[in-house]
Amino acid sequence: MIQIAEVSKSYNRKLVLDAVSMEVNKGHIFGLLGPNGAGKTTLIRILNQILYPDGGQIYFEGKLLEPVHLRQIGYLPEERGLYKTMTVRAHLLFLAQLRGLSKTEATKNVDHWLQHFDIQGWQLKRISMLSKGMAQKVQFIAALVHQPKLLILDEPLSGFDPLNVELIMNEIKALKEQGTTIILSTHNMKSVDEVCDYAALLHNGKVLAQDAVQQLRRAHSKGLIEVRFKGNMLSFANALWTDFTLLSQKELEEGFFECTLQSRGGRKLNDLMRSLQEHVQVEHLSQIQPSMQEVFIDLISQKAAQNV
Amino acid sequence: MSNLFLLTKREIQERLSQRGFWYMLVLGPVVVLLLLIGLLKAADQGKQELNVLIADPGQIMSHRLMAQEEQQIHYFFIDDYLELSEFEKGKAYQEFDVLLELNEKVLNNKKCFVFFRDQLGLDARMQLKFQVERRMEELIAAQHSNLTEQAFRQIKQGFIFDFRDLQDPKNESKEANAWAGFILGAFVLFFVALYSMTIFRATVREKSNRIVEVLLASVKPSQLMLSKILGIGFIAVLQLLGWILLLGFGFWLLQETIFLDIFDPSNWGQDAPERLNPLSALVFEQLPFASLIVHFLLFFVASFLFYGALFAVLGARSSAEADGQQFLFPLLFLVSFGLFSGIYAIYFPSSTLTEILGFLPFSSPVLVLIALAKGLGIAAYTNVLLSLIILLVCAFSLLGLGAGWYRKSILKF
Repeated sequence: MIQIAEVSKSYNRKLVLDAVSMEVNKGHIFGLLGPNGAGKTTLIRILNQILYPDGGQIYFEGKLLEPVHLRQIGYLPEERGLYKTMTVRAHLLFLAQLRGLSKTEATKNVDHWLQHFDIQGWQLKRISMLSKGMAQKVQFIAALVHQPKLLILDEPLSGFDPLNVELIMNEIKALKEQGTTIILSTHNMKSVDEVCDYAALLHNGKVLAQDAVQQLRRAHSKGLIEVRFKGNMLSFANALWTDFTLLSQKELEEGFFECTLQSRGGRKLNDLMRSLQEHVQVEHLSQIQPSMQEVFIDLISQKAAQNV
Repeated sequence: MSNLFLLTKREIQERLSQRGFWYMLVLGPVVVLLLLIGLLKAADQGKQELNVLIADPGQIMSHRLMAQEEQQIHYFFIDDYLELSEFEKGKAYQEFDVLLELNEKVLNNKKCFVFFRDQLGLDARMQLKFQVERRMEELIAAQHSNLTEQAFRQIKQGFIFDFRDLQDPKNESKEANAWAGFILGAFVLFFVALYSMTIFRATVREKSNRIVEVLLASVKPSQLMLSKILGIGFIAVLQLLGWILLLGFGFWLLQETIFLDIFDPSNWGQDAPERLNPLSALVFEQLPFASLIVHFLLFFVASFLFYGALFAVLGARSSAEADGQQFLFPLLFLVSFGLFSGIYAIYFPSSTLTEILGFLPFSSPVLVLIALAKGLGIAAYTNVLLSLIILLVCAFSLLGLGAGWYRKSILKF
């Protein structure tokens, strides 16, 4: 869907994006991650043609990105605002028409989304009268009212209460189901774990890592295993032998334990299962995958260590 | 529908939905009219005593003007013409404020010149005119007809009193016309300044509430800037036209009501008061109105493009509306520069500096309107066209440069 090839950008001789390349596949949710100042917003502005790169190219559906493609892109910026004196309906119609919809199409789409978010009753209220959450819903609708093929969401969950976070997350999933490609830039790693198929980590203008989310998590796995069993703790510890180290233990009820183990010498779950089955009754056994939060911290720490 | 049109339409709708626009539309002309009434009333309050020397080589008046001695104006006669320089500088004439020159054929050509040392108030002009005219009517009625003085007045033609400053006896400066042009020029500058600040505030507001990033994902920065200038410019023209209409109606209403008191025939024994009204004479007879209005609008639009682009860029470079305060001083300076240039041009119309100021974008609207109000020949009109071209070239250059600066600045929060 989107191919970013060797894109560079400098501000006042400071390199903000350094030959960044990535590819976002059609129908996927792509997490664009990175600490503050990593260059995410600059890259997003370049994708929206608000800024132009100093070098490199961007391709949209195989063609060089041009202003005409902007009609197929929806954008919810991190720093977002609305005209306070306009009504909700007028504002949405205005933004939909700016994105190239005819008045009839814009009216139809606005009606659909107002109904979808159950805010028809607010359509004639001025923006200044809306609560923050309500205004954010309007902003979210404004980003997708023209039914874009690519939706770029920069911190879409910031400022939402938990109920609305749930609502927006479900909406993002539904949009993916309908075939919309989404680039999600966020610091909310839980949401990345939950919805992203692929992710890229930007750091100081460079791509530190990019892959499928599951692959990234696997790659940063520390060999931790979670076990829940019924039986004797001493027998369990003896069964581990030297292949696994017991890191923590917790008695959930009498004779029922939950433990965390560290694999040693490349031992796998099957090895552990074989060692345990004659000594305790295993109820649950799983490899502990790092969260994207941990992957993120791990990658940044590794980079910092390299720089030292 | 083009994005520029959509953005411009939104700007217009937003301004029209603001109460301030409608208040300004109505209150502005009302305040101007009230000020005008106040000025006219105040001008007529100050009664001055005048010594008027009537040069009457034909002894038409027979050394007599009023049946009774007039309290405010004292008349003296000489039976010959008097050189202006002698009247101006001669010791014997220093006690006289006004020289009224009656040519020997005045009863036929009905024109006389009135030279004054200091500007005469409206009241003094009216009385002088009325009293001299009454006396001449008396003489004409007696010499040329069998009509009574009363009946003669019913059919008479008015006398033309040409009031002239001793410093400008040929009336080259056409000061009243020049001031009328100055007022129009000042209107251009004030409106342009007022609405340039509106452009500044609208730009900063879009920037500070961050809607600008959403907009820039759909439109070019230059379109966004141009839409502000066009939308707010349209509102400015709308308000200006509203002011012209309301002020026109107000002037008419004042002439029909309050001005009638000032020029009440019963006060002066006049049958045609409007002929005595120098304001209406200036507006309806002396000013080249059509040309003034056309050039007023042309220079307004060109100046607005110039200042609009400038203030849109300043808005893009600012991050809060409060920043606008710091730009108020340069704006006031530029407006004052234009106004003072206009005043300078009125008093020194032929100086080289006046010619230069006529081509500067900051002062040309005022100077051109002054020149046009005084009346221009074809040769001088080429300078007006040149001023307009310079202003437009500067405006479009600034728009072009401004679009680039605007693009670089608008996302620097």
